[in-house]
Amino acid sequence: MQSRVIEFANVLRRNGIRVSLSENMDAFRALELLGIGDQQLFRSALRATLVKRTGDIQPFDELFDYFFLGIGQALDALDRKIMDDLGLTPEQFQQMLEQIQKLLKEMAGELSELTRALLQNNRAELERLLREAVEQEMNGGTPESLRHTPYTRMMMRLRLERVQSEIERFRGMLQMLAQSGEALQDVMRYLDERMRDLNRLLREIIQQEQRKQGVEPRDNQQRSALADKSFSFYTEDDIRRMNDAVARLAQRLKNRLSVRRKKAVRGRFNVKETLRKNLQYGGVPFQIQLDRRKKTKPQVMVLCDISDSVLNASRFMLQFVYSVQDLYAKVRSFVFVAEIGEVTKLFEDNDISTAVETALKGDVIDVFSHSNFGRAFEQFHRNFFPAITSKTTVLIIGDGRNNYNRPADWVLREVRRKAKQLIWLNPESRMTWGIGDSEMPRYAPHCHVAEECRSISQLYKIVDLITP
Amino acid sequence: MFQSVDEVISGLGKQNYLCNKSVATVVYLGTRLQKPILVEGPAGVGKTELGKVLAESLGMELIRLQCYEGLDEAKALYEWEYAKQLLYTQILKDKIGEVLQGAKTLKEAVDYVAKQDGVFFSDRFLLPRPLLRALLSDQQVVLLIDEIDKSDAEFEAFLLEVLSDFQITVPEIGTLKAKHVPLVVLTSNNSREMSDALKRRCLHLYLDFPEAEREKEIITLKVPGVGSKLADEVVRLLHRLRKLDLKKTPSISESLDWVRALTLLNIKELDHELVDQTMSALMKYEADIRKAHQELKSFLAEKQAQRPAAGGGEKDHLH
Repeated sequence: MQSRVIEFANVLRRNGIRVSLSENMDAFRALELLGIGDQQLFRSALRATLVKRTGDIQPFDELFDYFFLGIGQALDALDRKIMDDLGLTPEQFQQMLEQIQKLLKEMAGELSELTRALLQNNRAELERLLREAVEQEMNGGTPESLRHTPYTRMMMRLRLERVQSEIERFRGMLQMLAQSGEALQDVMRYLDERMRDLNRLLREIIQQEQRKQGVEPRDNQQRSALADKSFSFYTEDDIRRMNDAVARLAQRLKNRLSVRRKKAVRGRFNVKETLRKNLQYGGVPFQIQLDRRKKTKPQVMVLCDISDSVLNASRFMLQFVYSVQDLYAKVRSFVFVAEIGEVTKLFEDNDISTAVETALKGDVIDVFSHSNFGRAFEQFHRNFFPAITSKTTVLIIGDGRNNYNRPADWVLREVRRKAKQLIWLNPESRMTWGIGDSEMPRYAPHCHVAEECRSISQLYKIVDLITP
Repeated sequence: MFQSVDEVISGLGKQNYLCNKSVATVVYLGTRLQKPILVEGPAGVGKTELGKVLAESLGMELIRLQCYEGLDEAKALYEWEYAKQLLYTQILKDKIGEVLQGAKTLKEAVDYVAKQDGVFFSDRFLLPRPLLRALLSDQQVVLLIDEIDKSDAEFEAFLLEVLSDFQITVPEIGTLKAKHVPLVVLTSNNSREMSDALKRRCLHLYLDFPEAEREKEIITLKVPGVGSKLADEVVRLLHRLRKLDLKKTPSISESLDWVRALTLLNIKELDHELVDQTMSALMKYEADIRKAHQELKSFLAEKQAQRPAAGGGEKDHLH
């Protein structure tokens, strides 16, 4: 059993679940205590000792099924299906199998192992034969056979056509044997069904084996690929998965915030703490205690360009802003194209997808006009400038393509003077800044940080700049 | 101590805590292998409760350490009682003078004092905080380290020694080993991923919202006056509500509060007005309540649709 468990741990590792040696040993000790008689206990014991991340529980369960139950579950399902189709009770089904066994003995000529196991419903034997074949297939696939799919290669390896012809032969014999027997009718239908079942099992077992080998692309890989993909290439599918990435990003921010709270080097003199700390020196204040620095949550104002040219990026950014709202004392969100509109209330009241979609749909501002950063900035200055304080971080997301309108970069100068930080994230490559109607060279000098932000991994880096 | 998994189920059951077999297995392994259990899961599924009932069912003392940002060794482990040390020196001034009488030189006097300094740095002046208390206790205890994810990474690292070797190093005294290895339950809301080192030392248990059947059992167990019909409806509604995208999904503890409120009002089945009025016990955000409203309407509409059959039955009964 130990070697089986070790092997299983290796399968888990290949599928991206971290299992350490000490965890393996825990699993052994747990099994010593519980025994391996009860499947549910066995599973719980392995899960508690080997899997430590909530996200790994589901893959664990799947792999456990593949590894320890094998195609047993699939076989169960197929048996049930046959019984349903033929309208047999389990006892009748058993009787029929015995009948088949007798008939097979009478049949002339050699039968292959596989046919015998299949027709007699000998599960252990069937699984062993299939498993052996598939393992050979996976470990030593010859290059020339790459032309075929694993499935066709397996068919050749197991010599399925032989099984087929053997079953036909058996069928022929049955037909000769009994012209009228109702029971034999069932047997014949059973034969047809079994042949199809074999195909199903074959597919199932190949899938399982691939999964064990970690051949199937895992979510992790997909996620990391997503991290480096530019927003503008996102597909529908990516956007859905993006939610997940955004959530993790927000989580990371939270973690960073929660960890930092160190004693300040400077601060107000704390009489009480100092007296207590210096009791050991007879009340002579050797060690001065200062107040902890207050954890200040930053205030954030986000201005997000939602014109067509940066749609995907702004969708992502809006989701991000939405997810991190509770990290900040105050977040005010604005969207703009040619005019600027506030969406803070919208974000507070709705769930993430409705909020983002409503913001992008044009209910707040006209989204079909041409970008006019200058006008939007002037409007922002007129209406919202007083709301900026020395604690505010102003975050602008946009490509800076102004359609040759007035740039109004003086607004940024003013903002910078008043705000704590002014950050510009541009979903366009830095190479193209300043080309055509891009006003980035004019805007960028006013910002504390002006970065290109085309993918999640770039955003990760920038997030660190925004944290207080 | 538990002898089998079934014993865990019945033991916890006696304390009105229902758990399924896989939860019980982990608890059993934790007690037998003397490994800490790290319990994760959404808020309000009974993570903390598990630690409490474990202590009660085993008849052990529960020592609880609530974690928070900035929790440090002085508050979790031990602290020297400076005031007491000082007081003792003051009181014993004469005695100290006596001891030092024989000393001719300053060096000799210092040596005398040095010989005695064990007196001042001994257990007597050590103020044990929860962790040390759990280790030094004369009987085995249950140590509940609550919301470990709220603590700093430094504290987590420091816990490693305690959790794997069950010992603590105090520089002035040396290493203190546990007299009895405590049963440790750590809970986490997963607001921060715990380090692999910590996880490796623990058994992992994921508690999720229970299946409808079990939740009904829990409700009937915890709120004795509740009618079977009400419990059934509440559970069905809850399971639908949990599928919504809410800011805060209604937890078991909240649903218990709600059912308690309903039973106090002597209510036998859900209707619209009533649920509206008491919803605030279940939902904590205005936006959530609004969202739940829609779900509630359709739930009640379905109930209405099923009603004629049930109503007919009752009438027959009256005749």
